[in-house]
Amino acid sequence: MQPETGHNETGVIQLPSPTAWPMVLALGLSLILAGMVTHIVIAILGLLLTVAGSVGWFLQVLPHEAHEGSLVHTEEVEVVSSRTLIERLPTDEMHRKILPITTFQISTGIKGGIAGGIAMTVPAGIFSVLRYHSFWYATNLLAAGGFVSWASASNAFLGQFHLQGAIAALIIHGLTSLLVGLLYGAMLPMFPRYPILTAGLVAPLLFTGILYSALGIVSPILNQRIDWFYFVLSQIAFGLVCGWVVNLHEKVRTPQFRALPFAIRAGLHTDLGTPKPEPSVREDESR
Amino acid sequence: MATQSPVTAVLDKTQASQPPRLFLATLHEWVTTVDHKKIGLMYIGYALFFLVVAGFEAILMRIQLAIPNNTFVSPQAFNRLFTMHGTTMVFFVGMPILFGFGNYLVPLMIGARDMAFPRLNAFSFWVSAFGGSLLYFSYLGGDGLYGAGSAPDVGWFAYAPLTARVFSPGHSTDYWTLAVLLSGIGNIGTALNIVATTICMRCPGMKLNRMPLLVWLYLVTSMMVFVAVSPLTAAQIMLLLDRYLGSHFFDTQAGGSAVLWMHFFWIFGHPEVYILVLPAFAFANEIIPVFSRKAIFGYPAMVAASVGIGFISLSVWAHHMFTVGMGAGANTFFTLSTMVIAVPTGIKIFNWLATLWGGKIRYTVAMMFSVGFLFQFLIAGLTGIMLSASPFDWQLGNSYFVVAHFHYVLVGAILFMIFAAFYYWYPKMTGHMLDEKLGKWHFWLFLIGFHLTFDFMHIPGILGMPRRIYTYEADRGWMLLNMITSSGAFFQAIATLLFVYNMVWSYFKGPIAGADPWDAWTLEWSTVSPPPAYNFATIPTVESRRPLWDLKHPEDPDTRYE
Ligand code: HEM
Ligand SMILES: [Cu+2]
Repeated sequence: MQPETGHNETGVIQLPSPTAWPMVLALGLSLILAGMVTHIVIAILGLLLTVAGSVGWFLQVLPHEAHEGSLVHTEEVEVVSSRTLIERLPTDEMHRKILPITTFQISTGIKGGIAGGIAMTVPAGIFSVLRYHSFWYATNLLAAGGFVSWASASNAFLGQFHLQGAIAALIIHGLTSLLVGLLYGAMLPMFPRYPILTAGLVAPLLFTGILYSALGIVSPILNQRIDWFYFVLSQIAFGLVCGWVVNLHEKVRTPQFRALPFAIRAGLHTDLGTPKPEPSVREDESR
Repeated sequence: MATQSPVTAVLDKTQASQPPRLFLATLHEWVTTVDHKKIGLMYIGYALFFLVVAGFEAILMRIQLAIPNNTFVSPQAFNRLFTMHGTTMVFFVGMPILFGFGNYLVPLMIGARDMAFPRLNAFSFWVSAFGGSLLYFSYLGGDGLYGAGSAPDVGWFAYAPLTARVFSPGHSTDYWTLAVLLSGIGNIGTALNIVATTICMRCPGMKLNRMPLLVWLYLVTSMMVFVAVSPLTAAQIMLLLDRYLGSHFFDTQAGGSAVLWMHFFWIFGHPEVYILVLPAFAFANEIIPVFSRKAIFGYPAMVAASVGIGFISLSVWAHHMFTVGMGAGANTFFTLSTMVIAVPTGIKIFNWLATLWGGKIRYTVAMMFSVGFLFQFLIAGLTGIMLSASPFDWQLGNSYFVVAHFHYVLVGAILFMIFAAFYYWYPKMTGHMLDEKLGKWHFWLFLIGFHLTFDFMHIPGILGMPRRIYTYEADRGWMLLNMITSSGAFFQAIATLLFVYNMVWSYFKGPIAGADPWDAWTLEWSTVSPPPAYNFATIPTVESRRPLWDLKHPEDPDTRYE
């Protein structure tokens, strides 16, 4: 372990002293193994080195770890930055922008994903009832993602209620919605504007992409049984509800806000340190 | 231009000029050293040596495959070449070079004097290094060098029952097993050291959420080394028992299981590829912000994504076994879990892009390699997602498409970031700058060579060219594609030699670097280049994620924002 941390008054810092024993031990072990593919004599030599290495190493650290002093030279140096700014325009507290200025929280995306996931079941359910006169058809079709043999089961079978199927569908649908919500939430800070548009467009695209690539390839039979018109309808339901839920949430400010004086953060009316309108020049250092 | 009043602070400055030393004294110093920086450099040195060796093997293979019905090397020698190439690149180039940088940088970045266990550190290095020597010792035995000795010929994955005594008489497989076993011991030792160092040795104020992302990633990688390398070591010992003491773990004739070996191997093998790529991410996390002049975007998301990748990658190993016939349930599970990895990986890519976004980008060579990395890693991830769909994999598993996929990651992402790391930290390690002009030649030649080789390699794979064949008939339609692939390999080789030349030349003639040539923000740049044995004369205290920024901009420190 580290011998000491402080700067020594005498200008000497104690460091672990150099030693060849770890190397000897390593060589010993290697030679023992090499003995298996070469000759027993090599292995015996390895054994000797292993013993010598171990003893030597122990003596290095027991009873006291061996140390060696190292001389310290210090000097004052100039710290310069290659920051290229002429004079800063009237210094204002917002000069170092942390882009974006406001954003959504990651959890907002997750909530949107969950709400969208629930909304999606409506068009899927309608389709299932209209076409096959059973709500369970869509559920079981989804469950077939987990029970591969179901993909080629009869329509009558898929129209019945199966507890297994309901549970599997719930897990698959729940996980996927959550995942898309998570991904979406992670991306929100990068596209903080127009959540309705982003959600109405990006989220359905993401969802369709993930499901289409997964389903279409994992189970081509299943893929054929899916009605893609209703599928897209449910994507849109997902997107609209997801976007709507996201819109209900407040945006939060990114950290440059914390650098503002307390008065501004507290919303007090004072002219101390009021942020000026953003200068139109390019910021020299944004974060 | 800036006329800011310079601030002064105590940066360490040790006299650089030292009297010339005798060769023997120098040698003694390196052999006995327990200093994390010297050990890091030795790791890097030996990895570079093996990079050239394994690269040479790749060139031999590409010469053999350049034209149909070629007889440049024998089938047996070809098997040995791809086995040695793969094994060397993973265990004796990838791991040591990454651990080398980790060894060098982690203590400096967290403001420590050394690793937690300096002697264990030396031991770990030497064990790995001797492992590499043992592996290559195999070239000297058996049917002589021209028939390529008795070098192992069972692939870097050493699938059973190929490794059984009946199919692999002599000692070639034992060389493979023992060499990998030794390197495993070293890797576990170093991983343990890195975990202990990051947990226990951080300087005052260096809270976990202020640690440079590089240190975070090395922490995750090291944890993964424990979890992944241990099963491999167990499997190696079982294999030795099979071969020496007549047990039958993997012997299908006697009730053993070849699939058992595959599970053991890939439980190691898949996390291993992430063990290699996470340090590459780590370099990107340090280099991209500095040359964009912006702090990394989404630090907490980056940490969460890295830890997430660490966990998820432990649950996807069997995507390497789709073609074994595991059954629909297992295939579905491993398909989906593999696809899930795309989420944290996507988060990382978006955060790097957001860091570049609106930044003041400086296209140094290090930055150019990083941008290449971003692009190529994306493509490699996409072919990975394609392969993770099990029906698709039934078509293309064991074809050249897979070879193209993983080289896209291993070369296009990992090696690119390793080059970037050299351009970025070489000045710290040697005190001299690498030549940027030569560096640009290196970058462009390598980029062209890389894309010639690996973009075109996908197509023969789709056209049905299997991997690990030593030659092929002329009528398959793979001829031109293989020719292009081989020619790209030469570009890469020339570029790499240029890079090695640049390192040697710059060591003697390169301009003096100074403590902080890139105007960077992490602690290693606050001490002289190369740093003194004790790293910092006074142990620093940090108050934010960018301690040097705070030092340079006292009027506007990061502490206000975090
Ligand atoms: C991150 C760095 C990655 C590395 C270093 C890497 C490396 C590799 C390697 C070495 C192999 C071939 C193993 C062999 O058969 O010898 C492989 C195969 C494979 N990789 Fe990756 N990979 C990476 C990322 C990914 C990702 C992100 C995915 C998917 C999301 C993926 C999916 C696959 C699949 C499915 C295979 C099996 C293909 C087959 O053998 O048929 N990989 N990868
Ligand atoms: Cu894998």
